[in-house]
Amino acid sequence: MGAVDKKSVLVVVRRSPYGSSLARASLDVALAAAAFEQPLRLLFMGDGVLQLLAKQESEAIGVKNIGRLLTSLPLYDIERVYVDAAAATRYGIDLSNAPVTTQALDGPGIHQLMTDCDHVLGF
Amino acid sequence: MIYSLLVLSCPTSGNCTQTAAAFAQCVIARGHSIHRVFFLDAGTYTGAAAAVFPQDEADRIKPWLELAQQHAVELILCISSALKRGMLDQSEARRYEKQASTVHPAFTISGLGQLVDACANSDRLITFGG
Amino acid sequence: MTVILHTLNTSPGSAGFTDCLRVIAAGDALLLMGDGVYGAIADTAAGATLQASGAEIYVLTADTAAAGVSNLIKGANHVDMDGFVALTERFPRQQAWY
Repeated sequence: MGAVDKKSVLVVVRRSPYGSSLARASLDVALAAAAFEQPLRLLFMGDGVLQLLAKQESEAIGVKNIGRLLTSLPLYDIERVYVDAAAATRYGIDLSNAPVTTQALDGPGIHQLMTDCDHVLGF
Repeated sequence: MIYSLLVLSCPTSGNCTQTAAAFAQCVIARGHSIHRVFFLDAGTYTGAAAAVFPQDEADRIKPWLELAQQHAVELILCISSALKRGMLDQSEARRYEKQASTVHPAFTISGLGQLVDACANSDRLITFGG
Repeated sequence: MTVILHTLNTSPGSAGFTDCLRVIAAGDALLLMGDGVYGAIADTAAGATLQASGAEIYVLTADTAAAGVSNLIKGANHVDMDGFVALTERFPRQQAWY
């Protein structure tokens, strides 16, 4: 790491957990930012909310369990996690059972979240 | 201003990586600097040393080599994305006992910390995906 | 006030287009590139939705020419690469939709 300059970063996750390599890549970016103590917020939007389904069992398809990875976010001090409320409703996702605790946002709320961050990384 | 680029697009699908390279040249032409270009996911294919393009198609790696040669722009391939796609430099090829390196020497293989560092040290972080 | 530069690289039938439209607001700019340029075709539902967003709309010239839609686009400003970089100078952050 170079300078100790801090910039707040928002990672926007818009991919389903097992349909795209971008799903895992976006979470790896979030974990790396947290490991280097860069202020980090995480937003699950659109199809990204499908990562929040409980009881994922991906072992049979030979891919790391995204749901289990999400349960570890608080260990990395990633606590500002947000969800696109409309998308969660559209897919009927029970957020109270999700692998990670999220704060629900509507469209204007997502706009405000992006505005509050220095850099937005869209996946 | 200081810019960094995050390139996620596959270089052979659509023209987004070419747009990214042209964008980087233009950033420099307008008096800014490029701190780093970080290639992640399918974007790491951009560093393929042995890619051959038909004569009537643009060479996808050439504009990046020009950026590296003319302006010493740092080109980083994400190590986890690169290795699983068969993109290895000489030291990774040796480490994993593969026959040959497959990454052009203008590109460096490194970790996601380089992207985090780019975020911390850049005024603008521009993402190219799709 | 300049808030967010959105870049949209996917066609009006995609999730990227829909998600972008739910977030974009007055004070933002939207640059259509790649397959995104089809969103600005005149007299289409997508074009009308973009206009109603209140954001400044731009299209990347090389991509509109490649798509054959340069003369079909209404209500968007045509920019080259220089114009793209100028947008990133004006807007402090970018969200890429694709």
